[in-house]
Amino acid sequence: MSIDAFNDNVRDAFIALTSQLNGHAAGPFQTKRRSGFDSFVAQGIPTTRHEEWKYSNVLPFIGLQFSERTSEHDLITREDVSQVLDGLTKDSGVTVQVLTDELVARDEVVRNALGQTAPVDVHPFVALNTSLANNGLVIRVARGAQIQRPIHIAVVSDARSADVLATPRILVLADEGSIIDVVESHHAVGDKISLDVGVTEISVAENAHVRYHKIIDDTVVLRHIGYTAARVYRNGRFTSHSVSIGGAFVRNDLVVKLADIASETYLYGVSVLNEKDHVDNHTVVDHAVPHCHSEELYKGIYDGASSGVFNGKIFVRPQAQKTTAYQSNHSILLSDKAQINAKPQLEIWADDVKCSHGATSGQLNDEAIFYLRSRGIDADRARALLTYAFIAEVLEHIDHEGLRLYCEGRVAKKLDAEPFAL
Amino acid sequence: MTPILQITELTAGIEDREILKGISLTVNPGEVHAIMGPNGSGKSTLASVLAGRADYAVSGGSVLFNGKDLLELSPEERAREGMFLEFQYPVEIPGVSTANFLKTSVNELRKHRGQEPLAPAAFLAMMRERMKLVEMDQSFLSRSLNEGFSGGEKKRNEIFQMAMLEPTLAVLDETDSGLDIDALRIVASGVNALRTKENATIVITHYQRLLDHIVPDVVHVLWNGRIVRSGGKELALELEKRGYDWIKQESVEEV
Repeated sequence: MSIDAFNDNVRDAFIALTSQLNGHAAGPFQTKRRSGFDSFVAQGIPTTRHEEWKYSNVLPFIGLQFSERTSEHDLITREDVSQVLDGLTKDSGVTVQVLTDELVARDEVVRNALGQTAPVDVHPFVALNTSLANNGLVIRVARGAQIQRPIHIAVVSDARSADVLATPRILVLADEGSIIDVVESHHAVGDKISLDVGVTEISVAENAHVRYHKIIDDTVVLRHIGYTAARVYRNGRFTSHSVSIGGAFVRNDLVVKLADIASETYLYGVSVLNEKDHVDNHTVVDHAVPHCHSEELYKGIYDGASSGVFNGKIFVRPQAQKTTAYQSNHSILLSDKAQINAKPQLEIWADDVKCSHGATSGQLNDEAIFYLRSRGIDADRARALLTYAFIAEVLEHIDHEGLRLYCEGRVAKKLDAEPFAL
Repeated sequence: MTPILQITELTAGIEDREILKGISLTVNPGEVHAIMGPNGSGKSTLASVLAGRADYAVSGGSVLFNGKDLLELSPEERAREGMFLEFQYPVEIPGVSTANFLKTSVNELRKHRGQEPLAPAAFLAMMRERMKLVEMDQSFLSRSLNEGFSGGEKKRNEIFQMAMLEPTLAVLDETDSGLDIDALRIVASGVNALRTKENATIVITHYQRLLDHIVPDVVHVLWNGRIVRSGGKELALELEKRGYDWIKQESVEEV
């Protein structure tokens, strides 16, 4: 019943969007939207009977009546956005554009990239996002450009006056030999429900390096379902840091395809949760060609009645000889009510490869707590210090110092461990 | 003169098993006491009870530390009151730098004494100076606490911590286990350098060799949960020569 209502909701939004297109109704963007909508209808909303959604139940908020436009006064106006984008575009080497029907029709690169790494049939929410995608962002980094300052995309859902469905779509196209830090953060304002279904597609050209940071900060209203797909070409490198510090419902899908030889990817993730937070990290590393390298390290701290999921797939295709792929996932449960479901999945069809995975879950080490206490540090601070240190080991891989300090500070605040984040 | 430590008829054990069966011991300022004994005599239990390990239960007797009831204090309160337990197996703590850990620890002790936290520069200078005592390289400060340290480095790090925390009573639990002779010499000279007229040291050891380097004022022999003999440093030498069997024999005859 509630799924039907939600589907009707999406259909209405799709029709409403179609009616506003003014001459682009037969354009390439709308064609992609239409195939997205058809695919969404065909796939349907997943229930917990679906293997990929076993521990993350979307039904509780699918029944809500979402509206597309909520407040009389926009939180951020089109003029605000234009001003920011004008400022950015002056920074040499980066171009930031709004993802419009007009741009998709005019620009072949954008047209080809949109939906290439995140095809609509792989995931029901990719289909949903595609069917309603409008006014997203395209970030292009010029050949050889080494961008020192991170580009920060803040997605803010305005749930001040009604439940809201947001479908942000982001394209990052890093040309040959370029280097860029991208930060994607998701937020909600207001006390209604916001469902934020995002898709980010990233293309890392030859010798380029994209450092991607996805930050879901402490918020109890946000329901976020995000799908990030990266494709890495020859000698390219894609580094991802997924920092989840709360959220009523967070699902991060991260899919990296190593598409040409000597490409590599490094995936790091932390979840720091308490109360009823829920964060589900699904990752896929696809070794499609020989001589590629991947490393993955995800850690989580679970307190209160929080729950986490880690599902890490590694595919090594038959032709992907000389692959090296390592994955590890470690969790600490601080309360009896907290839970983590971890599932490494390695599918290896090549025979000359080095792959490993390890997953642990447990409590804090009592002997370590006692050691700290016997040096005058009280039990609560000892626990805070140890949990912080457990997470900091992952965050130290963030190359950009400012970003690293920011993330460390946020984690320390959540863990009451501020004095240690120095 | 108030003793630093006064143990009276202490009985303690783990689960239902009584291991310490009435220990009495007085340690005065300026003294070094050695507690020796064969395996299973109760040495580790005594160290654990003094440190405040939760799995050991005290069933009788009393322990006064600088005049306060030690058994009422949590492990962190004992440290703040001036007790330092040197760990037989120091714990590796990834992600916490030695410097950060020590700053937290030292400032907790200072807060307890009503002192302001040390300024970063003064703290760094203090660390650099006291590391020299145990010939530790400064690179250890930014490394994770004990992580990947060799056995000798861990023990030197323990004595470095002791130098930073300036305890009134240091309890060294089997310091010599796993140490080669050079590391033993460095650790022992660190301990000796920290001795003053106001503090005291208890050295718990199975072997006499550590006592060549840290010379005790009093040697106690623990057997079957009791101190069966106390004497000067020559008692340790006699134990080294004759082993523990004659002590066991004599104490059985006394009973």
